[in-house]
Amino acid sequence: MVSAGASTYRDRTSEFRSLSDTLKKFGRISAANPDRTYQHNDPSTSSKLPLTPSSYRSEFNKKASRIGLGIHETSKKIARLANLGKKSSIFDDPLKEIQELTALIKNDITALNVAVSDLQTLQNMEIADGDYSEDRVVHSTAVCDDLKNKLMGATKKFQDVLTARSEVCIHGNIKAHENRRQIFSTNISRGNPLRQQTENVMEPPPWSSPSRSSANQPSESSGSGVQVGNQLRRRLAADTTPSQHMEASMLQQQQVVPQQENYSQNRAVALQSVESTITELSGIFTNLATMVAHQGELAIRIDDNMEETMSNVEGARGALLKHLNRISSNRWLLIKIFAILIFFLIIFLFFLA
Amino acid sequence: MKITALLVLKCHPIPDGSDPVILANATDVNHFGYFQRVTVKQFIVFVGRTVAKRTPPNQRHTVQHEEYKVHSYNRNGLCVVGFMDDHYPVRSAFSVLNQVIDEYQKKHGESWKTIQADTTSQWPYLNDALTKFQDPAEADKLLKIQRELDETKIILHKTIDSVLERGEKLDSLVEKSSDLSAASQMFYKQAKKSNQCCTIL
Repeated sequence: MVSAGASTYRDRTSEFRSLSDTLKKFGRISAANPDRTYQHNDPSTSSKLPLTPSSYRSEFNKKASRIGLGIHETSKKIARLANLGKKSSIFDDPLKEIQELTALIKNDITALNVAVSDLQTLQNMEIADGDYSEDRVVHSTAVCDDLKNKLMGATKKFQDVLTARSEVCIHGNIKAHENRRQIFSTNISRGNPLRQQTENVMEPPPWSSPSRSSANQPSESSGSGVQVGNQLRRRLAADTTPSQHMEASMLQQQQVVPQQENYSQNRAVALQSVESTITELSGIFTNLATMVAHQGELAIRIDDNMEETMSNVEGARGALLKHLNRISSNRWLLIKIFAILIFFLIIFLFFLA
Repeated sequence: MKITALLVLKCHPIPDGSDPVILANATDVNHFGYFQRVTVKQFIVFVGRTVAKRTPPNQRHTVQHEEYKVHSYNRNGLCVVGFMDDHYPVRSAFSVLNQVIDEYQKKHGESWKTIQADTTSQWPYLNDALTKFQDPAEADKLLKIQRELDETKIILHKTIDSVLERGEKLDSLVEKSSDLSAASQMFYKQAKKSNQCCTIL
């Protein structure tokens, strides 16, 4: 029942509540005696099936509230995942945890999707069932849309978190590391470059495996490469005094990018892309072959049709030739027959006359 | 995408030692103004020396300076430095450096270790390399392969389109030929029929 037009603000919710309670009570009574006359006077609760709309209603509400709760929980989990993802760059990835969480969130989202679509069908059923007040319809559609939007927002956030995390893992958050490692590493870095050479020889094969497992290694190796870069940068920053005049300003403009592992990484990536292109090409060739085979069949069919046509036309030609011959020969016979007829006519005339 | 200069230097095995010694030098400064060219050459020599000095042995480094990237590769004291612009792919740059350094070692063997002063004579290979490698695909086989594969893919797409057209035409031909055979059959029947009724006459 629509609460009275609130042109002047008067809080009539208590009246509304009491009215609804009485109506509910009436509703239950009339369920027992379905032919009560009060029905036809009530435009809003035109409840021909008294119990079921309210039960539908509460079911709808219950489902909606459950879905809302689920969405809220899922968004909380997504926020936690985002935090874990941000934090994971420097230290050991809580990789397993993140993966579990991701799987959990995915399941939740799919379940919520299903639930929302159920809700939608329920609402449609409701609307189709009885003629409810417009407000109820509007309300239920609003609730459904709201839930859908919230779910979409949550899914988008989830996607963003996943992409951000993959970026972070691949690039290893170099800048952040530089600053931190600068504080920690001083003389140790001297010994590293020689060790690094052997490390880098081993690095390329692991990178051919899927990116998730290699996500840790680039971040670690970039850390060690950053040390060397820092060494250079510190020297550059420190060597403002030596010899040449232009050196100072130029050096400060220079920016060192750790190269060693990026180089082999680049090569690995390029090789992978070449490999995928070749696979695509092979697929295209197979398609081409299939199409040409099909079209070969078509050509054979055309061939058969044409041969059939040939034979038909030849037969028809023969028939026409025969026809022609017969016609040309018949004339002579016709003359003969007419001659005999005329001869008989003359004889008859002789007999009669 | 261009290379501005290629330098081969001899670096002291301990970094932060003496300045590296230039063994070969090739520059292409034609896109600078006439009066700037000498300055630019000096600048290139200087920056090359600095970067080579700071590249530890068996390491590759890239330094960004204004709109240039300076790539350096130090192999056991023999260092090769290249000045490329930002668009030149990094990997091809390093393959250029690799090739240059291999060529130099093949040609001069170990004689470069004894050189103490800057060499002023030109090394023609380096100049040729500079012009040849302006296109990164020349140096980097992977890039060349990728490019060719892409072209092949485009050609294949066109081929598939034309095969599809051919299929459509064949379809229409099939229809027409079946119509033709039906028509010729009717023709034959008619001819036979008209033949039969005239025999009586």
